[in-house]
Amino acid sequence: MSEILVIAEHRRGELRPVSLELVTAAQSLRNSPEDRVSVAVIADRPAAFAQQLRVPGVDTIVTMTISTADFDPDTAAACVQALIAERRPKAVLLANSVDSFGFAAALAAQGGYGFATDVFKIEYQDGALVATRGGYGQKVNVEVDFPGKSVVVLCIRANVFKAPDGQAKPAEVSATAPALAPRSTSKGYVELASGDDVDMSTADFILSIGRGIGEESKVAQFRELADAVGATLGCSRPIADAGWLPKSRQVGQSGKTASACKLYVAMGISGAIQHLAGMKHVPTVIAVNSDAGASIFSVAKYGIVGDIFEVADELRRHF
Amino acid sequence: MKVLVAIKQVAALDEDFEITADGRDVDPDFLVTDLNEWDDYSLEEAVKIKEAAGSDVEVVAVSVGAESVDEALRKCLAKGADRAIRVWDDALAGSDSVAIARVLAAVAKKENPDLLFAGVQSSDQSFASTGIATSAFLRWPHAAVVTKLDYSPGAKSAVIRRELEGGAFQEVEIQCPAVLTIQLGINVPRYASLRSIKQAAAKPIEVLSLADIGVQPGEVGEAGSLSRVRRMYIPEKGRAEMLPGNLAEQSARLAAIIKEFKGVAP
Amino acid sequence: MFDSASITRVLFEDFRPWAVRLFYLFGYSAIAVFLYGVYVQVRKYRRGTKASLEGGLWGRFGWMIESLLSQRTVTRRDRSAGAAHGLIFYGFVLLFLGTATITLEYDILEPLFGIRFWHGEFYLWFSLVLDVAGIALISGLLYMMVRRGWIKPPKLDYARPDRQPTDPDYDRSNYRREDWAFLWTLIVIAVTGFALEAARLVWLQSRPDVWDYRWWSPVGAALAELFQALGLSAAGGGALRTGLWWFHGLLALVFIALIPFTKVKHILTAMASMAARDPLAAQRLPRVPESQTTPGYQYITDFTWRHLLNLDACTKCGRCHEACPARAVGAPLSPRDVILSLREFANHALAYGRLPDKAQLDVHGKSPGQVAMETLWSCRTCMACVEICPVAIEHVPIIVQLRRKLVEEGEMDPLLQKTLQTIHKTGNSFGESKRKRAAWTKALPFPVKDARKEPVDLLWFVGDYASFDPRNQRVTQTFATLLHEAGVDFGILYEAESNAGNDIRRVGEEGLYEALATANVGALSGAKFNSIVTTDPHSYNTIRNEYPDFGGRYAIEHYTTVIQRLLESGALTASRKLGYRVTFHDPCHLGRFNKGYDAPRTILRLLGCELVEMGRCRDNSFCCGAGGGRIWIPDPVGAEKPAQNRIREAAAIGGLQVYVVSCPKDLTMFEDALKTTGNEGKFVVRELIELLREAVDAKAAVPAPVAVA
Repeated sequence: MSEILVIAEHRRGELRPVSLELVTAAQSLRNSPEDRVSVAVIADRPAAFAQQLRVPGVDTIVTMTISTADFDPDTAAACVQALIAERRPKAVLLANSVDSFGFAAALAAQGGYGFATDVFKIEYQDGALVATRGGYGQKVNVEVDFPGKSVVVLCIRANVFKAPDGQAKPAEVSATAPALAPRSTSKGYVELASGDDVDMSTADFILSIGRGIGEESKVAQFRELADAVGATLGCSRPIADAGWLPKSRQVGQSGKTASACKLYVAMGISGAIQHLAGMKHVPTVIAVNSDAGASIFSVAKYGIVGDIFEVADELRRHF
Repeated sequence: MKVLVAIKQVAALDEDFEITADGRDVDPDFLVTDLNEWDDYSLEEAVKIKEAAGSDVEVVAVSVGAESVDEALRKCLAKGADRAIRVWDDALAGSDSVAIARVLAAVAKKENPDLLFAGVQSSDQSFASTGIATSAFLRWPHAAVVTKLDYSPGAKSAVIRRELEGGAFQEVEIQCPAVLTIQLGINVPRYASLRSIKQAAAKPIEVLSLADIGVQPGEVGEAGSLSRVRRMYIPEKGRAEMLPGNLAEQSARLAAIIKEFKGVAP
Repeated sequence: MFDSASITRVLFEDFRPWAVRLFYLFGYSAIAVFLYGVYVQVRKYRRGTKASLEGGLWGRFGWMIESLLSQRTVTRRDRSAGAAHGLIFYGFVLLFLGTATITLEYDILEPLFGIRFWHGEFYLWFSLVLDVAGIALISGLLYMMVRRGWIKPPKLDYARPDRQPTDPDYDRSNYRREDWAFLWTLIVIAVTGFALEAARLVWLQSRPDVWDYRWWSPVGAALAELFQALGLSAAGGGALRTGLWWFHGLLALVFIALIPFTKVKHILTAMASMAARDPLAAQRLPRVPESQTTPGYQYITDFTWRHLLNLDACTKCGRCHEACPARAVGAPLSPRDVILSLREFANHALAYGRLPDKAQLDVHGKSPGQVAMETLWSCRTCMACVEICPVAIEHVPIIVQLRRKLVEEGEMDPLLQKTLQTIHKTGNSFGESKRKRAAWTKALPFPVKDARKEPVDLLWFVGDYASFDPRNQRVTQTFATLLHEAGVDFGILYEAESNAGNDIRRVGEEGLYEALATANVGALSGAKFNSIVTTDPHSYNTIRNEYPDFGGRYAIEHYTTVIQRLLESGALTASRKLGYRVTFHDPCHLGRFNKGYDAPRTILRLLGCELVEMGRCRDNSFCCGAGGGRIWIPDPVGAEKPAQNRIREAAAIGGLQVYVVSCPKDLTMFEDALKTTGNEGKFVVRELIELLREAVDAKAAVPAPVAVA
């Protein structure tokens, strides 16, 4: 009997949805009926989050109470380390998130655990735990295994696994937090004043522009097109970094997730993994790009290989 | 005061690449190398600290790899690094990011910097692990995805900003010396003219072996790694349905899809 | 009749010895001040660096003399100014030579050798010629006054686009004052000269050897009549003569003394600048000398002496200001103001005995006399300024040298920076893999020879845009097909070709340019061919003019001369006369840079097109705005782009059907401008090759296969 330990992630009093996706991912590692999936909540008030983790697939919820509300890498590493020591799981699943970037590698290096990040598939092959991740800029897939490692720590990519539906009643236990000596202090959060009030996460129809537009003076044409077709204008990271559009319009991992979007038209966007993270879940994605090999076409439903300005002009005629 | 910047020479795939015979990597003939995009930013951040400080700040670039990595180190020297170190030993072949981190930690122990920078991730393998794993071996405070840094050379702490998902940031005060992994956009990396790169060729790159930094061969390579590559393959890519016809027809179809979505008559 | 010897003007007539000595004292002082002024200027130039002088001494002086005598450079694009300046020039030169002749006899030949010649017939003709010269001078000056005071052409507006009205060096009124002072001083000298002549005649009216020949000085004589009519007596004439003599003389001496300190110095600096001219300025830029530690110009002392001399040759004529495409669309660049700023800087920093601290010699920045980054990056290196400058100033080479320093410091637009890095990595500005350079050949029904592997007659250097840009690829494929149909033995370098580097060099990244040029020369040297053809004028310019400095000397043509030959020899026949109403845009690097104006026009005629020229054509062609790296620098939002300005010029041609270009960048820029100016549908933009395709019947060129029964 082995345990698969999921570490839930939360921020500013909210459970991050990826935590539930990890539960689904964990199911792939059940290879015997006695295997157990437990979800750990490490927080100053874990009860609130525990509530939301009562979903099918979870056998145990482990709560660990700590004094700090905000994420701290030393605390996270020490707590997870303590959980591993106490519960001896065969696998520990974390989100492949900014928080995990802060401590997961340190945890694995310290403990000598098996370790892989940005994993989007996990399975057993001939009794060995195999994780699949991307390689060479996500152009190839790489299967990795962990010979001789009794504990494997995996950071799972978000938006790959679907959160479980329904309710369940897992057992709940608590664990004692270890002695903590954090070497950093959280000083709070900062939201950048956005240039406009738009909330990309509520828009249902988005027209997004990327590096392909070339220069700032071209933004106006697409802003006008978005207005004409009734879409919210969005963009990929390079456009926001260059200041051509406010950061509030950026869709992607470090921007907004187009959560409510049903139709996404991507023009001049190549489809870097960080941008895809924000929109590939959208049911209908239409990509326009002059490069037939752009990654965006692998997540889009429809595609046009062509000059985005010409397409924009032609499209405009219809509205 | 010293800032140690760990850099990586990354490889991008050329057109029509091929997987090697053992199925575990891409044939090197098809790899195009360059300095990791994140490392441009971390090096620039270090050079900025140097330039802002009135006192002497030394910026040292370090990388793990064979001779071809010198190209990336030379670029760093051209951009303002004072020295460059390269570590290589045949035993290092097959190392994952944690094994590399062990080497970097050993170099850091030798160099004794006040800060160690690494990029958040590399553009080729995106492990996002090397920097933070290094901090574990050094037992140093660490922070990842740093998008702003306030630090006076030699100070006991620094204030950093982490870039979170969804466009928000967290401010953190961290004790120093520390390991920070630097995110894109923290600064505007300077341009290194070809001339300055050629001139940097005159600056020496110190080449160290594992013995020089006190690392055992068994601690690196496959033996020292926390994962092992079983298989590398080209995935089946999902494919969009390409709209047929000429420009006018494609755009008309696109317009129709939009109108249908909006419930508007075509 | 009179003794010829008595028909003359007695110098210093009736002057007391002390007066003569006083005059000579003034004279020598004036010359001393003049020489000192010249010394200060020359000392300034010597504080610059070495300049290589191209062409033989006689060649350069010959060109300078010919230009001066014909006044060609000052008449170009401004006939009336040229004519008026010609009058001033010849008037002044003749009057100067006249005075010199008198001095020659009076101070040298007569006292030393007893030779006298300034009398009799010679004297009389001399007087007539000088009177005419005086009239010419005054007429020219009067026109110039009318031009500045009433006509006020825009190019004489000194308002500068590279400074704000609040900046200390924005105001140019002292230049205007100097201009007027110059005009007034000269005209007063000339007029008082005539008045003096007349006064002397009135004074000596009783002397027949003077009075009877007075009409050989017609102006003086006419004025003398006037004076007499106004009641001037002989004695009065004498007094007037004395007064005017001193006034005219001293004013003239002061004028001469101040030549090196005022705008008047252009009479010397312009000549020197023209004599030192590099005929390939801007076409062939200089390499960074081995001895130089940092590339380009940072300090005023980095400038070559020729460039420092250029700064002083400027007369603010405004032709460069008028021609500049960046200035025309409101960018903060005027070539004139770059030169004037630097001149002010040089005069401030280099005109004293001691040089100030190094830091004060830095010409980059926004303080008075300095040149700002935005100004330098606005330049399209189209060479309109260099080409039209009457005094051979090298605006573009100076700007490129200043850019070299900016590039070294990394001070450039981020997109430009990225492009340079991309070119360094992949050898092309599109970031595509080298392997894809010849991908356009795959769509052709015939193989294109690989010049790396087999010898070819014509090696075609394709260029980046023609190879990678989809719209231009169509033109490239068409050209390949036409060459194939004409039976030309041609080949390309495939992956061995890199960006030719013309624009990289003009951006100021000399290190990258050297790498590209060396790589291309290496590839070319490994191939066997008779000559090179290129469809890209930028590549044409650099391979033709600059590659020889890198060991690559090749016979190279732009495709237009090759096509002209093929059409004229019958290898290609225009079986259809197109009959379109067209206009032709001369590409900067083919036309103005390399004088390739005629071949495209001949082709258009052979194709049966009706060519209507735009106002700004041939050497005055208006740049599309993509040169100098600007195609990799975003334009300011909302501002007019040069290409739009140009398309609007074409749109004014009634019934225009086709706007013809023969450069890949032009095609890209103008097709875009056609849309953004709202002219789409009114006329089309076509590459000359595409018109050729329409006119040349494929079937006629390649014989149909004969069926074997």
